Amino acid sequence: MTMHELARVTLDNDMDLILVHKRCMKLGELGGLSLSAQTTFATAVSEISRNALESEKGGCLILNVETDGRDKYLVACLKDKQFNHKRFSQGLEYAKRLVNKYNVSEINGETNIELFYNISPPFRIDVAKVEEWRNMFRAEVPISPYEELKRKNEQLLNLSEKVQTSEAQYRALTNSLPMIIFSLDMKGHLLYANEWLTKYTGETIDSLNGSGWKAVVHENDYESFYHLLKNPVTKGSTTIKTQARLKHKNGEEFLWHQISISPFINDTEEEIQYWIGYIVDIHTQKVFEETLKDNAELKRTQDQLKENQQTLEKYIEELNRSNYELQQFAFVASHDLQEPVRKLLFYSDYLLKTYTNSIDQKGFEYLGSMHTASKRMRTLIQDLLTFSRINKEEIRFKPIDLNTVAKEALQDLEISIEEKGARINIQSLPVIISDQGMMRQLFGNIIHNSIKYSKPANAPVIDITCQQKDNFLELSFSDNGIGFNEQYLPQMFTLFQRLHDRQSYEGTGLGLAICRKIAEIHGGKIWAQAKEGEGATFFVSLPMNQSAN
Amino acid sequence: MRDAMTLLNVNDIIWPALNGELAWNILQKNFESSLIPCLIVLDLNMPKMNGTQTLSKIKNDNRFKEIPVIIYSTSINPLEKEKCILLGAHSYITKPVSFEESIETARIFLQFCQKLLA
Repeated sequence: MTMHELARVTLDNDMDLILVHKRCMKLGELGGLSLSAQTTFATAVSEISRNALESEKGGCLILNVETDGRDKYLVACLKDKQFNHKRFSQGLEYAKRLVNKYNVSEINGETNIELFYNISPPFRIDVAKVEEWRNMFRAEVPISPYEELKRKNEQLLNLSEKVQTSEAQYRALTNSLPMIIFSLDMKGHLLYANEWLTKYTGETIDSLNGSGWKAVVHENDYESFYHLLKNPVTKGSTTIKTQARLKHKNGEEFLWHQISISPFINDTEEEIQYWIGYIVDIHTQKVFEETLKDNAELKRTQDQLKENQQTLEKYIEELNRSNYELQQFAFVASHDLQEPVRKLLFYSDYLLKTYTNSIDQKGFEYLGSMHTASKRMRTLIQDLLTFSRINKEEIRFKPIDLNTVAKEALQDLEISIEEKGARINIQSLPVIISDQGMMRQLFGNIIHNSIKYSKPANAPVIDITCQQKDNFLELSFSDNGIGFNEQYLPQMFTLFQRLHDRQSYEGTGLGLAICRKIAEIHGGKIWAQAKEGEGATFFVSLPMNQSAN
Repeated sequence: MRDAMTLLNVNDIIWPALNGELAWNILQKNFESSLIPCLIVLDLNMPKMNGTQTLSKIKNDNRFKEIPVIIYSTSINPLEKEKCILLGAHSYITKPVSFEESIETARIFLQFCQKLLA
């Protein structure tokens, strides 16, 4: 059964009854009823409508045409929200007798009364016809200002209903989106926000308008956020965006959000009406970005480190190569240089000793200076060799009794000690962890130095004393020799530096440099104090134990 | 050194060789005539086959390994010295720098051989 609705009349007051009557007459006319039949149908409908009017809530009358089946009917349908049979009984009793059939039903506490009036028009009632009738009702000239008003009112109600439905739909839609959607007035006050605002911040529109979002926005981001909110951006502007950290209601954590607002401009008006915007959680993205940035930085640092390491490795390689070359040099010096010098020395000596009669005086002198020069060169090469052999690889640390070392050094120097009549006083010395050979060299070189630079008139006296300072042993070698000006101190411990000419004092200029290298390789140091003509004191400070080194 | 030996009138008991390879040839040649030296004096720095190589070859040959070898060189670094001792060198003598020293060295060699023969 299909009913086509053609018109409806709400029943609010007596005036509506006139409207009901008029509509029914018209419907009858359209359905091809005679004037008396029209009146009969209109009377029946009016009867039940009057009853409905007596209810407080009023009702609604819907006029339809039913076209299914063989029979066709005009159908007046009255909907009344208040169910009251008594109220209807009288009018309904009367109306029943005027129509072909009727139907009373109750659905959800609403009374539904349908009156059917048979029609048999000489034309087909199809969709086009129904639409034509509808338009006719709609275009009906109002019979009174009341009807005019009522119609407008109905239209408004209809519209408002539609707006409400639409609004509800939009609200549902905005709430279903996982973001805060809001609108702002021109002063930056919230007008509307979906429920996510409260869900996230725990604040309401009013509380946020009151506090100016102060408790919600991170203090470092507040300025830019507030600026975006409050600053009146004039027309022509488009969407503005900023990022800020917003606090979640459940904790102290601030999460990054993107805030975007756009001006809402009505099509008809040029002015900005209000602002609409959204706030969306971009924390994951932001953290990801930060992590990426950090990673990139880390990668850069790593690359830099790698590069540095490669450079370092290159340097180490070069250094190792250079060290190796130096060792090779020492080897070459030990063999290839020494052998020719030895030959020079040997044969000049051989000539001096065995060819005494065949060389004249002049030739003898030349040979003599050649022999001396070869001897000096041999010493020089040997000293250089000694110097180059003092390195980390050669060192062998053991507990060494320095008393023994001193004794050995004196034995090595026996000849020169006797020659000069030197007296050497040695205090009792401790045992320290060191390399025996190097210690012997150190003691020997310093004592030899003192004997060498003694005053020609005085027999050398050397006092060797020691004292322990923390973990270091400080040895001092004091002599009564010629001394030196302290301004030469810096040069004295470097290679080939000599304060005196070779004629006065023999030497290669390597002795003290060797001492310094030995002291340094043990983690100690060497220095001296002196005055010209008043002797010198050499100090050597050495760690007692190499483990602390 | 040969001069020194001449002075001691013992020049004819020496077989001099310019390098390790020649020394090896001499050793083998004389072995065929059942002649074995009572002492080998070996320089380290030699062309073709150097001192340590020669030493190792001698000490690894059953025919010659009992012959004492004295290393005779200008100078020797501690590492090389250790290597020579490990290879079986008897001792080590630095080459002389004076006439007196050379006579002294020659005398030492001679005494060494005489002691061995006694």
